[in-house]
Amino acid sequence: MAAADPPSTAAAADGGVTPSIPQPYVLRETLTGHKRAVSSVKFSPDGSLLASASADKTLRIWSTSDLSLRAELSGHDEGVSDVSFSADGLYLCSASDDRTVRIWDLAAAAPVKTLTGHTNYAFCCSFNPQSNMIASGSFDESVRIWEVKSGKCLRVLPAHSEPVTAVDFNRDGSLIISSSYDGLCRIWDSATGHCMKTLIDDESPPVSFVKFSPNGKFVLTATLDSTLKLWNYSAGKFLKTYTGHVNSKFCIPAAFSVTNGKYVVSGSEDNCVYLWELQTRKIIQKLKGHTDTVIAVSCHPSENMIASGALGNDKTVKIWVQKDEDQREA
Amino acid sequence: MNVPIIDPLQGDFPEVIEEYLQHGNMKCIAFNRRGTLLAAGCADGSCVIWDFETRGVAKELRDKDCIAPITSVCWSKYGRHILASATDKSLTLWNVVNGEKMARVTLQQTTLHARLHPGSSTPSFCLACPLSSAPILVDLNTGSSTVLPVSVSDAGNGTTAPHPRNKFSDGSPPFTPTAATFNKYGDLIYVGNSRGEILIVDSKNIWVHAIIPISGGSVVKDIVFSRNGQYLLTNSNDRVLRVYENLLPQKFAAKELEAISSNDNEFQGIEKLKVVGSKCLLLFREFQDAVTKIQWKAPCFSGDGEWVIGASASKGEHKLYIWDRAGYLVKILEGPKEALIDLAWHPVRPLVVSVSVAGLVYIWAKDHTENWSAFAPDFKELEENEEYIEREDEFDLMPESEKAKDLDINQDEEIDIVTIEKDSAFSDSDASQEELCFLPAIPLPDVPEQQDKCLGSSSKLEDSNHSGSPFSIEAAQNGQAILPASSPLEVVGNSTAEEAVETSSLKRKRKPSAKGMELQAEKGRKPSTKIKLSGKSSKSKNKHGDGLDTNGSVLEDDVTDDYL
Repeated sequence: MAAADPPSTAAAADGGVTPSIPQPYVLRETLTGHKRAVSSVKFSPDGSLLASASADKTLRIWSTSDLSLRAELSGHDEGVSDVSFSADGLYLCSASDDRTVRIWDLAAAAPVKTLTGHTNYAFCCSFNPQSNMIASGSFDESVRIWEVKSGKCLRVLPAHSEPVTAVDFNRDGSLIISSSYDGLCRIWDSATGHCMKTLIDDESPPVSFVKFSPNGKFVLTATLDSTLKLWNYSAGKFLKTYTGHVNSKFCIPAAFSVTNGKYVVSGSEDNCVYLWELQTRKIIQKLKGHTDTVIAVSCHPSENMIASGALGNDKTVKIWVQKDEDQREA
Repeated sequence: MNVPIIDPLQGDFPEVIEEYLQHGNMKCIAFNRRGTLLAAGCADGSCVIWDFETRGVAKELRDKDCIAPITSVCWSKYGRHILASATDKSLTLWNVVNGEKMARVTLQQTTLHARLHPGSSTPSFCLACPLSSAPILVDLNTGSSTVLPVSVSDAGNGTTAPHPRNKFSDGSPPFTPTAATFNKYGDLIYVGNSRGEILIVDSKNIWVHAIIPISGGSVVKDIVFSRNGQYLLTNSNDRVLRVYENLLPQKFAAKELEAISSNDNEFQGIEKLKVVGSKCLLLFREFQDAVTKIQWKAPCFSGDGEWVIGASASKGEHKLYIWDRAGYLVKILEGPKEALIDLAWHPVRPLVVSVSVAGLVYIWAKDHTENWSAFAPDFKELEENEEYIEREDEFDLMPESEKAKDLDINQDEEIDIVTIEKDSAFSDSDASQEELCFLPAIPLPDVPEQQDKCLGSSSKLEDSNHSGSPFSIEAAQNGQAILPASSPLEVVGNSTAEEAVETSSLKRKRKPSAKGMELQAEKGRKPSTKIKLSGKSSKSKNKHGDGLDTNGSVLEDDVTDDYL
């Protein structure tokens, strides 16, 4: 077992004021193998697989039960920025600097389709819940909606005036939200491609990430002024703010952890993974161990497991579990 | 679906042709319950299921036995089965998920309209309205059929009820179609006969419980319920569409009807049936075209029952008339110069789908004007110029005042991010059974080809996409649809980013691109493979690569440029 920084250090470092999580997360495993920075990690919808994307142009698929490497997918010509599972966990899509989005068949561990059309780096991608469409955002300032079956580009949304940093579908796939360095989040009707709403704050720091809440009523945005905000998008107002981490350069995604209490999890440029309690907004844990900016986090859909990936100085994916389970493993 | 920020005018009506679908020669269409899939019956006996969101073919139901043109398609309640009736007098029940034929029954006559029993999840009963005689209830498992009564003689209730099975010796008025439909839960059947009467028949014991005479007494050609079961629409030969309000409850309507019937002891025989009938349906509105007195075809309600649409049955016309429930004609939509053969309104969205005699399916949608305030929240759209009166201190230099906004937000409020709200549009969906909303999309493998590294498309293409809806056939003004292969295609084609791969992308030519040629070599071409319309080029083969894909149309193999 890799040595884990006991979480109590985090609490102590903050002067003991920070409330601590009842069962702190500890490091279970460090997955090595990527030759360059890790850019994204995602759990499959059923939780059995973990996918990691890297600047070394490959994707790695790990099994979550024994954390062994299941497959390595290569085919992209440039580094990969984002990866997303289909709802049935059979297909992956990945967005890469080679301007393409590729669909991979996991059973065969081989690429199936290449979606071309973006005119600059493809930065983010997401399957819709029905998994018949993929939305991708790019440095060419547009969001493209692709049909999975034929690979056809169904729509090009004139989304932003700066690179698009994140795209996400809501729970029933009827809305797409996109965020960009231009400081805006826009919500689109996925059926017609029409803009439904724009979320804008007074100052508009570049928005580096956006995601719908599990019930699709709220959105979580990350901005490059080291702030996470939870918005009620229909009202256009934010309800909660989470701070304390460092995020001013990179697009670091955040995640909701709802398996054991409600938390918001995010990476940070100070090499830690931050956990905030959703309602009180207090930092309850900082996971230390990475040696470079934690650029990706993902929460397991049913178990209390968090995966994190870090940049070039580190190149690893770390798996964190809650202490009780760790002891049971041992 | 019911997201608060989506346009509240969803319950509106369509205005222009947005797109058309082409795959074989389609004859009849039906939406599934949620409007996510569209089933179309073709002239070659197969059924095509379109994924309505992506406007692509999701599945094809084919069988070597089914080769006769399909006359009607109907979905089961949970979308797992489709019933298709064909001109070879057969009814075929398909399993949608695995694409297999489950049952096939051959009747004595060709069925014009077949409807599955709406109440059950694994339907085995269906109602078939043949071309020229009384409607029959068919048991798909055993193949037996029961003829429904179409008229009641004075001898009293029930005596004209079931004829011996499988015999058409009912002597009913010959050679006139009779229309029939299930009510919402399938316990009653409403039959419209050739004497201009609506009979309410119990679907279990085939008793006639009520008669409602329609004024004018002319043949009833169509009888349709609204989606919520509250309104009934009849189309009669006297060129009038009538909307009735359904006074019976939705659930257990048959029981209620029996109760009314047994309570009423004053009258006997037909009189009694009519009295009971008057308690079941109430004439609400009549729609007709007073000027031209046209016959109507394929009338139906909108998904929420607010609008009624009927197609003109005049020769060669593709005209749709839309009325609101108050009886006012709100719109006449004109389509291409191809006669209309079928019509359906989307269950949820303001979309109408019409089938033309050319085998194309046209999708009518609202003409969308971009909502500019959605792009910038502090943007207010004005109808007309407003005088702006400036404040007294508008241009004064003020010391920086604190923005007190943050303090207004109570950040300690509890937020629920997990609970899911039920979708009220489908309030009666039975959560016990899995409803089939989507067919799994399996990506078709790419043909390995050398990557065309052409990045010819520049921001020029980006600009042309800013119309917001690359699908709209721009030239389809005033609801006139322009057939493909003419100029609108160029407009659409150029704005697709498929062009990105072509070297000739910026020109409006349809030269075969390198990628297109390679894709043309794709083996195992299934009919469902996306094929572009090759408007002006000289190729007649199917190919990918050209930018007309966004029409969502798939060409048959033998369509050439002379398609017009």
